[in-house]
Amino acid sequence: MKKFIKNNGTFIALIFLIIILSFLSPSFLSSRNLTNLVRQVTINGIIAVGMTMVILLAGIDLSVGSTVGLSAVVVTLLMQSGIGMWLAILITLVGVGGVLGFFNGFMSAKFDIHPFIITLGVMTIARGLSLVLTQGVSVPVTNRTFAEIGSGYIPKIPSLIILVIALVLGLIAVFRTSMEIKNGDKVRNKAKLTGGIILTVAGFLAGFLIFIGYQGIPIPVAIFAVIVMIGIYTLRKTRFGRKLYAIGGNEKVAWLSGINILRSKTMVFVITGVLSAASGILLASRLNGASPNLGDGFELDAIASVIIGGTSFMGGVGTITGTVIGAIIIGVINNGMSLLGINSFYQMIVKGFIIILAVMIDVLNRRDTA
Amino acid sequence: MGEEILEMKNIIKDFPGVRALDHVNFTLEKGEILALVGENGAGKSTLMKVLSGVWPYPTYEGDIYLDDALVRFENTREAEKAGIGIIHQELNLLPDLSVAENIFLDRQPLNKFGGIKWEELYHNAEKVLSRLNMDIDPRIDLGDLTVGKQQMVEIAKALSLDTRILVFDEPTSALTEAEIKELFTVINELRASDVSIIYISHKLEEIEELADSVVVLRDGATIGDKINISEVTLDEIINRMVGRDIEDLFPTVDFERQEKTLEVKNISVPDPFNPDKKLVDDVSFAAYKGEILGISGLMGAGRTELVNAIFGVYGKKSEGEIFLNGKKLNIKSPADAIDSGIALVTEDRKELGLLLDKNLVMNMTLPSIKTFSSKFAMDTHKERTITEKYVDELNIKTPSLDVFVEKLSGGNQQKVVIGKWLITDSDVLILDEPTRGIDVGAKTEVYRLMNQLVESGVTVIMISSELPEIMGMSDRIIVMSEGKKTAELEKAEADQETIMKYATGNKGAE
Repeated sequence: MKKFIKNNGTFIALIFLIIILSFLSPSFLSSRNLTNLVRQVTINGIIAVGMTMVILLAGIDLSVGSTVGLSAVVVTLLMQSGIGMWLAILITLVGVGGVLGFFNGFMSAKFDIHPFIITLGVMTIARGLSLVLTQGVSVPVTNRTFAEIGSGYIPKIPSLIILVIALVLGLIAVFRTSMEIKNGDKVRNKAKLTGGIILTVAGFLAGFLIFIGYQGIPIPVAIFAVIVMIGIYTLRKTRFGRKLYAIGGNEKVAWLSGINILRSKTMVFVITGVLSAASGILLASRLNGASPNLGDGFELDAIASVIIGGTSFMGGVGTITGTVIGAIIIGVINNGMSLLGINSFYQMIVKGFIIILAVMIDVLNRRDTA
Repeated sequence: MGEEILEMKNIIKDFPGVRALDHVNFTLEKGEILALVGENGAGKSTLMKVLSGVWPYPTYEGDIYLDDALVRFENTREAEKAGIGIIHQELNLLPDLSVAENIFLDRQPLNKFGGIKWEELYHNAEKVLSRLNMDIDPRIDLGDLTVGKQQMVEIAKALSLDTRILVFDEPTSALTEAEIKELFTVINELRASDVSIIYISHKLEEIEELADSVVVLRDGATIGDKINISEVTLDEIINRMVGRDIEDLFPTVDFERQEKTLEVKNISVPDPFNPDKKLVDDVSFAAYKGEILGISGLMGAGRTELVNAIFGVYGKKSEGEIFLNGKKLNIKSPADAIDSGIALVTEDRKELGLLLDKNLVMNMTLPSIKTFSSKFAMDTHKERTITEKYVDELNIKTPSLDVFVEKLSGGNQQKVVIGKWLITDSDVLILDEPTRGIDVGAKTEVYRLMNQLVESGVTVIMISSELPEIMGMSDRIIVMSEGKKTAELEKAEADQETIMKYATGNKGAE
């Protein structure tokens, strides 16, 4: 039981938070509010998936917020200039997210400079570029279908079908991962199985109540869910994921074992750049326009989600599942405090304390096991 | 000599599930150098922790008498006050402070404003250092000294505390031959001034040279009584340590030299800090299937740098040509070397060989990760099966494949490092100090394994600083000195004197 609490501490904290908020504010649990909450989480969550990989490598990416801003500006301006929506999105993902990410990763890996410095530089450069491109004023979106991406919904019936498929796939995954090999025999880890089933069913019910009770699954949430699943699969099952854990564990050992550090690091920053760009595009779509200051401070929420989710700043340890829970906690705190009428200035103070608390728990846990 | 200063009597120390010390008894006389030997895990360090107050009284059973008076230290400070000092394997100093500040840390002479009286501090430091006949300027930063000199500072620090019993825990593992000589001189002088020494070491030759007497620990218990070093042979000491004879230590097999496999020509590695100097200077050699090639030399002779250059560690900075089975290789990184069929078991397994907080599977499959995955997904089942096979074959003792390798003993960790390279199925296996810091039993297992590999057609190259090991295991020996190859000897012509002659820089005919 003690171990269960320790391993699932953030999840339990999230449940408590939700229970407390539902008492304090009756409207918190409404489908409408929760739908909005989840949609807000996706913007930060998509970035945080990339940030998880960066921090797994004991790195950091401060430029994600500026990348969000620049991407929103670029995609809007491209469409204003008459370029089609999909082409504009593609150009932005590759030309803004990919290029900035490549620069971050390549420079820090090739010349062995801490990514803190490189991404701090890129953070300022990208922000400057957005201001230059917009002359410092907001730019409106002119394309109608574009707005659908960020604010549209998947209709209720298809949403329900998607949720049911997710439930079935989730249960299959739980059954498969609960098998463990002990002393050469395959044994089912009962605790893991029960926990997994409860979580999956709870997730399904939550999804049902939140989305079907309102207008269906918001499109950004669906995109986020796909990104999260790909992210989890990448870290858990692929060679690339394995390499990240190895590099984060001990870069020198990984290199001497034949792993191409430059390529892996660059790749991770490119992924983070592209995800940040995607987040920026979604934001521009929902706001129906872009302002050059969009995404300011997003790096902090992303880093906070990753750290709260249990990824170690020292690298080598962490999961995307944890990050998603971390992102939801940040979202719930933001949403809850707004509902309670707490000034957003205070929200920043509270978030700051929570980040410190999360890191302290990580450090203390480490000391326990050492 | 003759006056008894310390007696440890019936010391028992239990950890959950294990008895680390089981009725340990020994005495130490004034001005005696007592060697404490035993395999890893025999209890040497635990015993010293009991002596120095790291484990305070109620956590152990038994009595410690200092000058015939019972002492029970509550903490290390009390032990220090009573005159017990320890020189640890890893030095306990601050590199950015001056030598004098390190010696008198927290005990600097202060003026009435709380400022440090620097002149007095330097003067006191000079006084202590002169006791060691050490020409070290107390004003310079500690970090500017060599490891050997830093150790001298640590000794000076202990002396400044009026230490009467000084414990050395594996003091020579990071020292050069010259520094070891210097250290021994100092230890002998300490003995002459009536300081008693407990000397812990794996290296039995050192003990033979230095110690007056020896106490052997095995599985937490003293084996026999304290013996005078003059009345015992190394074989007998080893026998007590492991409970078997030295003949078993080097399981030699006569191999037949077959075709040439690895050949390197004119390997050079520049010294990054000194453009005029080369760490490896124009070294050429060949290795053959069916033999073990030993590389001998003193610390800093460039042996590790030579094999690192072959393994691609220096990228474009190293020069020279590498051929494998007659084909020229273009190695610019470890990844290239691994792809070409060369594996390197690095010297420092904790920093360079293992992902300490990862499990066995992940560690052992890392260099051959490509063979365990399709384009996208890892084949975790195959990974576990292969890992399990090698864990069995190498006799790695572990509760499961999922424990972090940091939990394993040194010998088992070393086997994991070797295992991860065996899985790559390389043609050439280079081992850099493969038995450093592992116990005698595990050493023999590593030697057996090397022989098996040679038999199965792998070309094995071994670097070792221990002469008995180099002579016992190699079929051919390359000796290096100051970056250059100074000799290439057949097993028959290699004896300790010859190797040392070439290792200390006598350039011979090749």
